[in-house]
Amino acid sequence: MSGEEEENAAELKIGDDFLKAKCLMNCEVSLILEHKYEQLQQTSDDPMNQVSQVFEKSLQYVKRFSRYKNPDAVRQVREILARYQLAEFELCVLGNLCPETVEEAIAMVPSIKTRGRAQDDEAIEKMLNDLSLIKKFE
Amino acid sequence: MFFHIVLERNMQLHPRYFGRNLRDNLVSKLMKDVEGTCSGRHGFVVAVTGIENIGKGLIRDGTGFVTFPVKYQCVVFRPFKGEILEAVVTMVNKMGFFAEAGPVQIFVSNHLIPDDMEFQSGDMPNYTTSDGSVKIQKDSEVRLKIMGTRVDATEIFCIGTIKDDFLGVINDPATA
Repeated sequence: MSGEEEENAAELKIGDDFLKAKCLMNCEVSLILEHKYEQLQQTSDDPMNQVSQVFEKSLQYVKRFSRYKNPDAVRQVREILARYQLAEFELCVLGNLCPETVEEAIAMVPSIKTRGRAQDDEAIEKMLNDLSLIKKFE
Repeated sequence: MFFHIVLERNMQLHPRYFGRNLRDNLVSKLMKDVEGTCSGRHGFVVAVTGIENIGKGLIRDGTGFVTFPVKYQCVVFRPFKGEILEAVVTMVNKMGFFAEAGPVQIFVSNHLIPDDMEFQSGDMPNYTTSDGSVKIQKDSEVRLKIMGTRVDATEIFCIGTIKDDFLGVINDPATA
């Protein structure tokens, strides 16, 4: 990546390493970390002592900010968002923040509008509707 | 944002670990070494989730230590300039407030808090709008935008703003 100065998530400039990498929504991280924590619980009496502070803080954070709790809903969210030709990073920001209106979605992820994809307001609105349905039926 | 990425590391292993459990030893040493670390390039390594490949070991001349190139998958947390995320307020003072998003600390200066919010000192220092409808205090949840990041050897520190559309205190999820 050429220089920290260049980086700007609003324009999707996050460096090649991360643009190609798989992004995770908070709810997905929560599933992964809880699974790992359970594994630790089986092998040691005091699992909290085994994990780093970074792990502990991340687990608390993702538990607090997970929009979807059950694994099926998490999978559905990704499936729905994947239909809209979003970059991984954009997909996860939307999944994490669950904007309610089109204006809010564009403010959260300005790159949806700028990358020259045919992402009109109607498509965005449909996407947000689909998302809120999952939340409702979870 | 959290990412699932593949990283590579050269692991040095003492000869006493060679044997049937070499692989297990290597993996547990890897977890101990990398989990919880932070680099400017990849952010915080939260958890190792799998091993992609362990290359051929190379014996170091003179010591007997063997270096293995290990490719592993891990969950990392890396904040980006311009990213919008949610965070928990940890401290409020007249300069602004600190918030935490997972392992990363974010400072929001009072210049980047909307002008209609005033600092109130007391037991529970907070920023409140003049009509009292919105309040930021310890443990509030806020949505903020990262303005800049500073990387030092073991930590990434961010500056954030809530002075923009759709930023600020998040509605209480229980009532929304």
